[in-house]
Amino acid sequence: MEALLNTGSTIDEGRLAKGGSKYTDDYTKECAVCWMCAEDFTSLGCPEKVAVISRDRKYSVAVTPKVTEAMRTGQVFIPRSIWANVVVEPDTFSTGSPRYKGSPVFVEPTDDEILSAEEVVMKMYMGGK
Amino acid sequence: MVYKNIICPVCGGSCDDVQVNLDKENGTIDVQNACKMGNAKFQEVVSHHRLLKPTIRENGKVKDVSWDEALEMAADILVNAKKPFFFLGSETSCEAQEVGLHIAEYLGGMADSNATICHGPTVMGIQESGMVGATAGQAKNRADMIVYWGVNALESMPRHMSRYGVFPRGYWTKRGRFDRTMVTVDPRVTPTAAAADLHLQLNPNSDYELLSAMFTILNGKEPHPSVEEITGIPISVMKQTVEMMKESNFVAIYVGLGVSSSYGKHRNIEIALNFVKEMNNYTKCNIGALRGHCNVAGFNQLASYLYGYPFGLDFTKGYPRYNPGETTCVDLLREKDVDAAFVMSADLMDHIPADSAQYLADIPMICLDIAPCPSTTAADVVLPGVIDAMECDGTFYRLDNVPVYFEPFTDSPFSETKSNEDTLKQLFAKVKAKKEA
Ligand code: SF4
Repeated sequence: MEALLNTGSTIDEGRLAKGGSKYTDDYTKECAVCWMCAEDFTSLGCPEKVAVISRDRKYSVAVTPKVTEAMRTGQVFIPRSIWANVVVEPDTFSTGSPRYKGSPVFVEPTDDEILSAEEVVMKMYMGGK
Repeated sequence: MVYKNIICPVCGGSCDDVQVNLDKENGTIDVQNACKMGNAKFQEVVSHHRLLKPTIRENGKVKDVSWDEALEMAADILVNAKKPFFFLGSETSCEAQEVGLHIAEYLGGMADSNATICHGPTVMGIQESGMVGATAGQAKNRADMIVYWGVNALESMPRHMSRYGVFPRGYWTKRGRFDRTMVTVDPRVTPTAAAADLHLQLNPNSDYELLSAMFTILNGKEPHPSVEEITGIPISVMKQTVEMMKESNFVAIYVGLGVSSSYGKHRNIEIALNFVKEMNNYTKCNIGALRGHCNVAGFNQLASYLYGYPFGLDFTKGYPRYNPGETTCVDLLREKDVDAAFVMSADLMDHIPADSAQYLADIPMICLDIAPCPSTTAADVVLPGVIDAMECDGTFYRLDNVPVYFEPFTDSPFSETKSNEDTLKQLFAKVKAKKEA
């Protein structure tokens, strides 16, 4: 499914990030989550996990889907965090600020493991070092 | 002991009414008046995961070292780099940021801050068209209509609505919430939107079109009907919103990353600012950015005051240059245009897209922070941070660019440094000694 990715604060994301708890399970449970509407969730086959994939298909991140009435079809939301930023468009349109709002992404069911924030850094950014 | 009127160092709200009861003996802290986010940060003073020892990475292994060794290695990395990059984060004072800027200038490197990946485009929009602004107090006392556009205030600056925006009783708004109309514009139904009188659930990336259509309506013309499909908002609702604004005594508009970070970027802000200027022909109207990190506005003020540009500073030619998209953090890292990084008081690794984060993990990196996070994991040198407004004094700029001087209620936990400013001064001395040797 093609979608526009929105990212932003949630109160518990803020509480955990500001409280130095980025390496806790609570943080992963709060942020490694992709919000979507029931219609989109059903069209994906009600998966347990979804992969959110960047437009160029270079990066993919596994997260838990969350069904909510806050979203409309074709739009997904991930709390601002390392998981969201893996797939945010890096182009800044000559402003310096990437597209944290409205990045085009693909969303697909997946069996990939949901990584913790520390694992994302070590496996995806540090090449497993 | 109980301390009153402490400033919260978490978001741009800079709440100045926090009450803290610190029990050093039992290692507990009780915090009154702060929101969930603020309270969590105050707990860091006594937390068990606080970074208390400098570390370095040697042959792939992380080991504890003395402050002096860590500073030596940090200085070596910076001095040996051809183009060092300084990311001077916003969770620290202007005083610390100032030293960081001076080191960047001295070494002929690059300097940037959260200000860029946060409201950078907003600042560019202001450079394009100027801004009708007001302090938060003006809005509190006068505004009878509040518009949150592209910002979920309740979750990004949790006390904004209760301290400045919607609920407080002001001089001309004595009945608080009952004297104010609240409008939100957001593609999501956020908790802030749920509390609004009118929510405009626009399609993502259509802020520019919606603002242009409202501008057209304000000028007495009919917008093109296609705007309804593009924005998802009926023209009748746009007209109603413009009319509500014109009939108000004072409209305060707060924009967030929903405007400045979606498609259109600074042009969205530019048209919003022009709309506000035009609205002042009918009623008083002002606009301001809801700034997420505590001293993100401070970096813009400081960099503009010291070097003439608000962010994305390039000192490689020996004088400051500024070219967003070229000299800015995400672009520098994505294009592999720097060869070492100093990251202070911001978890940069967490906040940038994968291409930039991967390169940041590749180059030698020094990180100054208070708790383990993706940036400290990837860093080659970690310097423990001192918590501003709790353990040292200094200056923040609030969301409305009002400087706020803060005083601590306890001391730095380190005998080697009093503040992040102090740490940076020690680093600068080592950098100078090595460079001049
Ligand atoms: S609103 Fe911001 S400044 Fe105020 S207590 Fe919450 S985090 Fe701190």
